[in-house]
Amino acid sequence: MENLLEFKNVKYFYQTKENEINALDGINFSIKEKDFSSIVGPSGCGKTTILSLTAGLLSPSEGEIVLDGKPIQKNDGRIGYMFQRDHLFEWRTIWQNIILGLEIQKKNKDPQKLALAEDLLKKYDLYNFKNKKPRQLSGGMRQRVALIRTLVLEPALLLLDEPFSALDFQTRLTVCDDVYEIIKSEQKTALLVTHDISEALSMSDKIIILSKRPAVVKKCVDISFSGTIPLSKREDKEFGKYFEMIWRELI
Amino acid sequence: MKNKKGHPKINYSKARKAYLRKLKKDKLLVLFCQIALFLLFLGLWQLLADFGVIDPFFFSSPSRIVSTIIDLGKGGNLWIHIWTSLYETIIGFLIATILGVLIAILLWWSEKLRRIMEPYLIILNSLPKIALGPMIIFWVGSGTGATIVMCVLICIVITTISMLNAFISCDNDKILLMKSMHASKLQILFKLILPNALGDFVSVLKINVGMSWVGTIMGEYLSSKAGLGYLINYGSQILKLDIVMASITLLCILAAGMYFLVSPLEKRFKK
Repeated sequence: MENLLEFKNVKYFYQTKENEINALDGINFSIKEKDFSSIVGPSGCGKTTILSLTAGLLSPSEGEIVLDGKPIQKNDGRIGYMFQRDHLFEWRTIWQNIILGLEIQKKNKDPQKLALAEDLLKKYDLYNFKNKKPRQLSGGMRQRVALIRTLVLEPALLLLDEPFSALDFQTRLTVCDDVYEIIKSEQKTALLVTHDISEALSMSDKIIILSKRPAVVKKCVDISFSGTIPLSKREDKEFGKYFEMIWRELI
Repeated sequence: MKNKKGHPKINYSKARKAYLRKLKKDKLLVLFCQIALFLLFLGLWQLLADFGVIDPFFFSSPSRIVSTIIDLGKGGNLWIHIWTSLYETIIGFLIATILGVLIAILLWWSEKLRRIMEPYLIILNSLPKIALGPMIIFWVGSGTGATIVMCVLICIVITTISMLNAFISCDNDKILLMKSMHASKLQILFKLILPNALGDFVSVLKINVGMSWVGTIMGEYLSSKAGLGYLINYGSQILKLDIVMASITLLCILAAGMYFLVSPLEKRFKK
């Protein structure tokens, strides 16, 4: 499969009152189409900065980020972003939350887009809740809604910024499975940022390990398990070996 | 089986029924105590006045207040005073609320402008607006105009500061989410910032109800020919404290009425 996303010697500096901080010091990696990749690294190493650069919310100081053969533009429309919390708007119903992006992009009258939104709601057991308010849904359901809100925009690449970190451990495992299955069945390419090695291992086809700041890519590890869903991958005998290898790179 | 409202009848458990009964009982008890306290206060006040423990000339009494209101009503001027105060308060309240929110939007829009204006807002907020009274009379003349300006001055700064705080305290990740969907600043304002601040807006409305009455009475004390503030001032000058107390009673009723008109919004918009 071809590379969908490429980071070519990307450097990023940001300014504070005291001095200039070198956050990323020449990042190079690539992600294949329909792959699920993760970035792990020490706290504060610039993982979220990489996502912000990919989403076009920030511009690289040096280097180039290429998505599907074209450089990333400011607020690039080909990217979908999922944050640490679901950020559903409490004053909107589930349906209104899901079509928020369509409204912003003035596509909320497009019957094809609306049909896609309805299909996704039905497919992932949320159709009966379309007129409910977010507070009436469980944490896991809210995260599914947040994912569908991103998917209706049909992004080429999904960015996931620690989307499960606000959930308790048990919910986290099931939501992890849910989100993974949705992304795989919709055949999306995803890039996850997490500090949780187990989470990265259970979901990814590839893990990119970053050094501490100024960050460079220490290692890219291709992952392969016999299981297909995250929970079953955790039981694979190779899981521990991968875990130890990544852990050694991080300390 | 359906109940009186036509909803399907639900068979509750014994414990549930007892719990609901207790909730209802507690609610009735609180209401009863509130009314009893009010009646006790009025009764005690009347008795103390009747038996000469307090001087009705200085402290008035509920019966004297009622008869004063009836007398003023018969004279025909009472409605003019009530209408004047009500009109000034509502106009002041509306102008201050609308302008305050618009200024807050402007300051949210431009961070630079916000930083420039910050010390001025702090000074204006701490300034006792009554000090501006003589200037207001020179600027807009005495009467209704001056009272409305005083009312606006008292409410507008607190409206601006409260709404601005609500706008800038919006979760930055929500703004990033909107930006990642290509939202323009105007879309962020209308689809996120304003609806997100609705709860705070209702709180501001509730504060402004009280503050606008303060402004109106202050304005009428300063210079006016009608209004409940004028009536209080007039009553104290001719030593008819019954008029003062009757005006205060009417003021209480009107302020409470406005507050109860605004407060249902809280249930609807507060998260």
